[in-house]
Amino acid sequence: MEIHEFLLSARLDRENLEAWIDAGWLIPDNEGSAWLFSEIDLARVQLIRDLKADIGVNDEGIGIILDLVDQLYGLRGTLNGIASAIRRSR
Amino acid sequence: MSTDPYETLGLTKNASQDDIQKAYRRLAKKLHPDLNPSNKRAEEQFKEVSTAYDLLSDPDKRARFDRGEIDASGSERQRYRSYRDFADGAGASAYTTDAGFSDFGDLGDILGEMFRGRGRGGAGGATLRMPGEDVHYRMEVDFLDAVNGAKRQITLPDGSTLDVTIPSGTSDGQMLRLRGKGQSGIGDGPAGDALIEIEVRQHPLFRRSGDDIHVELPIPLKQAVLGGKIEVPTPTGNVAMSVPKWSNTGTVLRLKQKGVPRSNGTRGDQYVTLKVVLPEKPDPELEQFVSRWRSSTSHAA
Repeated sequence: MEIHEFLLSARLDRENLEAWIDAGWLIPDNEGSAWLFSEIDLARVQLIRDLKADIGVNDEGIGIILDLVDQLYGLRGTLNGIASAIRRSR
Repeated sequence: MSTDPYETLGLTKNASQDDIQKAYRRLAKKLHPDLNPSNKRAEEQFKEVSTAYDLLSDPDKRARFDRGEIDASGSERQRYRSYRDFADGAGASAYTTDAGFSDFGDLGDILGEMFRGRGRGGAGGATLRMPGEDVHYRMEVDFLDAVNGAKRQITLPDGSTLDVTIPSGTSDGQMLRLRGKGQSGIGDGPAGDALIEIEVRQHPLFRRSGDDIHVELPIPLKQAVLGGKIEVPTPTGNVAMSVPKWSNTGTVLRLKQKGVPRSNGTRGDQYVTLKVVLPEKPDPELEQFVSRWRSSTSHAA
């Protein structure tokens, strides 16, 4: 979805969006020069909000946490793939 | 599920606003679904504590709740699908990374393959490929089967059987390798091998030394003195052998090419050591003869 729909669905303002993209917390697709977003980005906005408002993490912390979360899910995915491959070979 | 927000946050009714926030933050960390991917109930639990917090963190709402004017089921927070559902799902995104394990040396190649396979959008597209492990066995083999070669079967721990061809000339302690009969590989990786250590049983008569066979053969007194033909057992069957006249105990005769087969097609030899024996049952005629026998009293050794 393009930026306007995204801002509405995510209940986010443009200023914050640009700051978060700048910080590397959100990574939209670049179609030409326009940003394109998908559902995973909506979920990631929710995560960022939860970290800020509910858990009280500061900006520095959010960057670190998102990085570790991405590594964590990267590992989970690979582990799952290995487990599947082993199961299939039995 | 508690409908008392105070209980949900583990607080008493006297809790200060500060207490409320502290309690919530502590629980939110523990129950946030994206930060606790293994906790299947995290979404549900997080929703509960968030709802409780939303109620109590607003002093106005809290007061009304305390007075009984509103109940706890009021406003449940609307949550979108958790990030973890997307991150755990099939297919890659801009956020997919192997940064957590890219240092894993050659295991990294296997993991990297896995990873790219997944990234290309196929959840079942695992390309993990590893060869299977070798499996070790021990097998007892009869002496003659080892010398002449044989086909035997061994029963594996899982009940299946394995046909083993024992090559002729196999020695004690030799390892046989059966390709592909070990553990199956992963993905389309090759199976490992079965490595079988051969234990050759002893034979009551034959003894092996290198490629040669050694036999101790009792011969009757008559053939020992007069010479003649006797039957000799060999690994491939009995053969007739000429014993020279006056063959004493300890005489070694050689049967060429009657030993152990070699890989080049030749065979070792069989060495027969003679042992002169008296007739089984006492023979009066022999006894008479020997008692009258004119010989020197001392016998050279």
